[in-house]
Amino acid sequence: MEKELLQEDSQIILIIIIAIFVLLFMAVALVLFFFFSRKKIIATELDKANLALAHQKKILQATIETQEQERERIAQDLHDAISSKLNVVSLSTNVLIDGNLTDKEQEDTLQHILNITTLTLESSRRLAHNLLPPILDKFGLEAALEELCDEFENSKKVTIQRSIKYLSTFTKTKELHIFRIVQEFINNAIRHGEATQMRLIVVSEEDNLCISFEDNGKGFDEEVLEDKVGLGLKNIQSRVDILDGELDYTSKINKGTKFTIKIGNGEDECWN
Amino acid sequence: MIFFIIAYLGIFLLAINTVLYLKALPQKSKAFKIYSRYLILILLIEIFTVVFAQILNKNNLFLSNVFLIIQFIFLSIFYFELLQNRLIYFVSCLVMFFLVYQYFSDIKLFSIYNALGITITQSILIVYSIIYFYQSLHKRTPEFLIVNIGIFLYLICSTLIFASGNLVFDVKIPTKTYFLLLKVNGILYILYQILIFIEWRKNYYKKIPKSS
Repeated sequence: MEKELLQEDSQIILIIIIAIFVLLFMAVALVLFFFFSRKKIIATELDKANLALAHQKKILQATIETQEQERERIAQDLHDAISSKLNVVSLSTNVLIDGNLTDKEQEDTLQHILNITTLTLESSRRLAHNLLPPILDKFGLEAALEELCDEFENSKKVTIQRSIKYLSTFTKTKELHIFRIVQEFINNAIRHGEATQMRLIVVSEEDNLCISFEDNGKGFDEEVLEDKVGLGLKNIQSRVDILDGELDYTSKINKGTKFTIKIGNGEDECWN
Repeated sequence: MIFFIIAYLGIFLLAINTVLYLKALPQKSKAFKIYSRYLILILLIEIFTVVFAQILNKNNLFLSNVFLIIQFIFLSIFYFELLQNRLIYFVSCLVMFFLVYQYFSDIKLFSIYNALGITITQSILIVYSIIYFYQSLHKRTPEFLIVNIGIFLYLICSTLIFASGNLVFDVKIPTKTYFLLLKVNGILYILYQILIFIEWRKNYYKKIPKSS
C-alpha cells in the first residue's frame, strides 16, 4: 500500500486524505470550542438567574419587613392616639354616671369629653389619611402630590419646589405606588438627610412618567449604599420594579441626593 | 475486503438508526419527523447502491446524484424546522434551481460525480449547521445537537471525498489506492451513524415507554 501511495499518480489521493484529516481536526476543534463556549454561557446565565433570584428574595424580605414596621406603627398610633384617649372618655363618662358632681364639675367633664372626642376624631382621620389619602381617590395623583407637599411644608420647616404635570392614565394601584414613592422620598430626605429644600418634578403623558427628586440634605456615599441598601430605598426599588420602571440616583456626602425614576419608553429629555 | 466490511457496517448502522427513529416517531417534533424520513430515503439509496453494484453489476454513480439532491432537500427542511428562518428556503430554492439547470444543460452529469453540485450543496448544509451551533449556544437543551455535530463533521470531510470522486475515472490511479479514500469515507460515515445513535439514546430512548 505504501509503495502505491508513493507513486506519483497516487500522490493526489494522499494529499486528499491528509486534507481530510486536517479538515476533520479543525472541525473537531470547532465543535469543542462550541461546547466549551456553551458551557461557559450557560454557567453565566445560571449565575445571572441566581443573582436575580437573590435580588427578588431581598425585595420580598424588605417588603415583609416594611409591612411589619407599618403594622407596628399603626398599632402604636392606634394605641397612642385613639385607645388611650377613649380610655379617658370612658373614665370621665363613668364619673358622670356616678353623679356625685356639682353642675360646674359636670360641665367641665363634659367639655373635657367633647375636647378629647374631637381630638380622637381628628387623630383617626389623620391615621386613615396616612393609610390611604382620600384625595388620591377623589382628585387624582396630581392633587394628592400637591397636598402631600403642602402638608410637609406646613408641618415641617421645609420648602418643596415642585412642578407636577400628570397626564398619564395609570391604574389607581399604580398611582398609589407613585404616591408612596414620592412620600418615601420626602420622608427619607427629612428623616435621614435632614434636608430643608427639595425639588420635585413629575412629567408624564400616556404610558410614560418621569419623576425627579432632589434635596439639599446630607447625602450618602453611593458605594457604601450599594452594599447596604436601606429599607426605605429597598421599598422604593420594589415599587419601581412593580411599575416596570428604572430607578437611578446620584448622591455625594453633604451635597444632597438626586433620584430619577423613568417609567415607560418616553424620551430621556423629560428630566431636563 | 476491508472496504466492504466498512461499507456494510455503515449501512447496517444506518438501518438500525432508521428503525430506532421510526419507532420513536409518534408525537415527536416536525424536525424529528423530517429527519426520520431522511434516514429512510438514505437507507433506500444505500440499498439500491449495493443492489446495482453487487447484484446487477451496473454503474451506480447516478445514485450519488439522487443522494445529493435528496440529502440537500431533506436537510434543508430539517434545518428550516430547527432554525425557523425563511432565508433557508430562499437559499435552498436558489441552489435547487442551479442544480436543475446544471442537470438539464448536461444530462451526462447524471452518470458521474457532480463535484460542483456536491461542493455547493454540502457547503450550504455546513453553513446551516454552523448557524444552528450558534443558535444553540445559549439553549439549555437544544434538539438534535449531537446529530448536528455528526452532520457537521461528516459533511465537512465527505465534501472533499465526493468532490474528488471523479478521480475513479483516472486510469492512472490504481483502484486500490482510490479505495483508500472510500475507506476513510466509510469510517467517517460510521462515526456519523454512531452520533445519530447517541442522539437517539440520549434524547429519545427513555421517551418510548411514555408514548406506547
